[in-house]
Amino acid sequence: MSILPAQMTVQTPICEVCHVYTQYGDNVIHENINLKIAHGDIVALIGQSGSGKTVLLRHIIGLTTPTRGEVLLFGQNLHTMERMQQRRLMNRFGMLFQQGALFSALSVFDNIALPLRELKQFDEVTIHKLVMHKLALVELEPQHGELLPAQLSGGMVKRVALARALALEPELLVLDEPTSGLDPDRSEKFVALIKQIKHALGLTVLFVTHDPVTVAALADCIAVLADKHIIATCSLLELKTMDHPFINHFFQGYSAQLMEQK
Amino acid sequence: MAVASFRIDTDDQGRRHVRLFGQWSLRAQENNFAKLKKSLSPFFSDPSIHWDLQSVEQLDTAGATMLWIGWGGKLDGRMVLNSEQIATFDMLSQLALPPPVKKSRDWLAPVADWGNLVLAFFDHVRDIIQLIGLLLLEIVYLLRHPRDFPWREFCANIYKSGVTALPVSALLGFMIGVAMSYLMSKQVRTFGADIFIVNILGLSIMRELGPILMAVLIAGRSGSAMTAQIGVMRVTEEIDALATMGISKILRVILPKILGLTFVAPFLVLWTSGWALAGGALSANIQLDINYRFFFDYLPSVVQPVNLTIGLVKGLLFGSVMALVACHFGLRIKPNTESLSINTTNSVVTAITSVILINAWFAIATRGIGI
Repeated sequence: MSILPAQMTVQTPICEVCHVYTQYGDNVIHENINLKIAHGDIVALIGQSGSGKTVLLRHIIGLTTPTRGEVLLFGQNLHTMERMQQRRLMNRFGMLFQQGALFSALSVFDNIALPLRELKQFDEVTIHKLVMHKLALVELEPQHGELLPAQLSGGMVKRVALARALALEPELLVLDEPTSGLDPDRSEKFVALIKQIKHALGLTVLFVTHDPVTVAALADCIAVLADKHIIATCSLLELKTMDHPFINHFFQGYSAQLMEQK
Repeated sequence: MAVASFRIDTDDQGRRHVRLFGQWSLRAQENNFAKLKKSLSPFFSDPSIHWDLQSVEQLDTAGATMLWIGWGGKLDGRMVLNSEQIATFDMLSQLALPPPVKKSRDWLAPVADWGNLVLAFFDHVRDIIQLIGLLLLEIVYLLRHPRDFPWREFCANIYKSGVTALPVSALLGFMIGVAMSYLMSKQVRTFGADIFIVNILGLSIMRELGPILMAVLIAGRSGSAMTAQIGVMRVTEEIDALATMGISKILRVILPKILGLTFVAPFLVLWTSGWALAGGALSANIQLDINYRFFFDYLPSVVQPVNLTIGLVKGLLFGSVMALVACHFGLRIKPNTESLSINTTNSVVTAITSVILINAWFAIATRGIGI
């Protein structure tokens, strides 16, 4: 193993958004968005409802293409690649959708096993072991594997979806509203779980949220999307010193809550 | 970052070692665990060989599981591991085992399958009777509160399943008319019975083909749409949302569909039959030189008008049965995609089958009328 490639992998950002513009009809959503996510970061993307956070997330994982500009994942553009390479690159990140997006016709076990089976490298005994490991990782019991998605509670859907996202040992975990629909207690536990898994597996995490508590508990770095631009990319402490109506408003309720606790 | 690889060497005491190198992990995209397992399999079965994992850069659960299963699910003195790897294998050994597969053959299974089919049939019958009962209750309610009649939904259904079906049913009717008349005219000409083409076409189209064509078309077009719509409304909890607003799903969702299709079906029969006759007249004109004016003047005198009435009554009956079947299957849909597809298929198949069964019964029941 030579030293040069190793250095390159450290230096190449996991994800790079360069001069992205998005426009639907006359409706401009993003104007010159730039964002870099380095290896091992936990980045929160916050912004008002309708500010285009989910759209940006969908650009990053290659579901949509920006009107102008480029999105690089692991230093490569998903849309200009060959199909086989594209598939390989897509195995390097896992996505947790807001509603879970579990396959409703498949059991929990089959949902988690699907990406592993698609890889066509493992026999059923190995797959069973790996699925059991993923279930244990998200703190679910083996017998939960037989349930269908419709039989799960909201919190369990999120856990199963997380287990599915982690099935192929990705480097980047992308989460859309990881704590929406969970009560404060559950959401706190889910955040702790993500943190723990992040450290155990050495992940890079990018997530979108509306919840200041989740941001404060999870994020190292916060990107604020407002007025079609990213107005700040910094830590929580730096963010609190900034004066912008959205930022003030976002943390107002949370600060009041913290003051009460003190 | 290096691909997973291994090397066999022999130490000074004559023991053979398998030394693993690189990333035994899914993160190394070039790894193919199926191939690795195959090339390692001779060493897995060799009890004297030693394993050295100290040069492994990264070992994830996928790689570890492959080795662990190869080793027969246990560690012994032959494996040289670091503490992190030992922890990974310990964790693997604590995971639940797959449940034993039952292989015993159940000779009673076919009997049980038949029994289940019969039970499922009775289940459907019960549900349909229940649905009809609920519909009757809503109709009684509407008689007492006529202002609550769902006019908007009723009209929307007439438009959706009737008006938008006009072009395709006209085309279908016309082409069937042309084809039938073309084939028949060759037959009647051999008997010199040219004029009878009017009798044959008039009777068969008005009494049989018009209603059946309409039914098959509408079952495929509107029936499936109704089933899928009600199903998705259940999946997305829209039906529950209606219930919380105190709005009856039967009154607002089911009843307008059934009344709408029942109302519009006779008109569609009339429309389809009309175009089929027009197609028949065109073919007869070309093949047998029968004048259009003569065709339609002669038609009422050889085909009794009661045949048209029978056709329209059939249309009314078919419309209500198809809508009822579609709604019944729609309400059975469970919130998953598989159930949605099965029930939509069943809805269309059942609607067409029951229409054809009813048609056969009708043909026998009305055998003395109009012929």
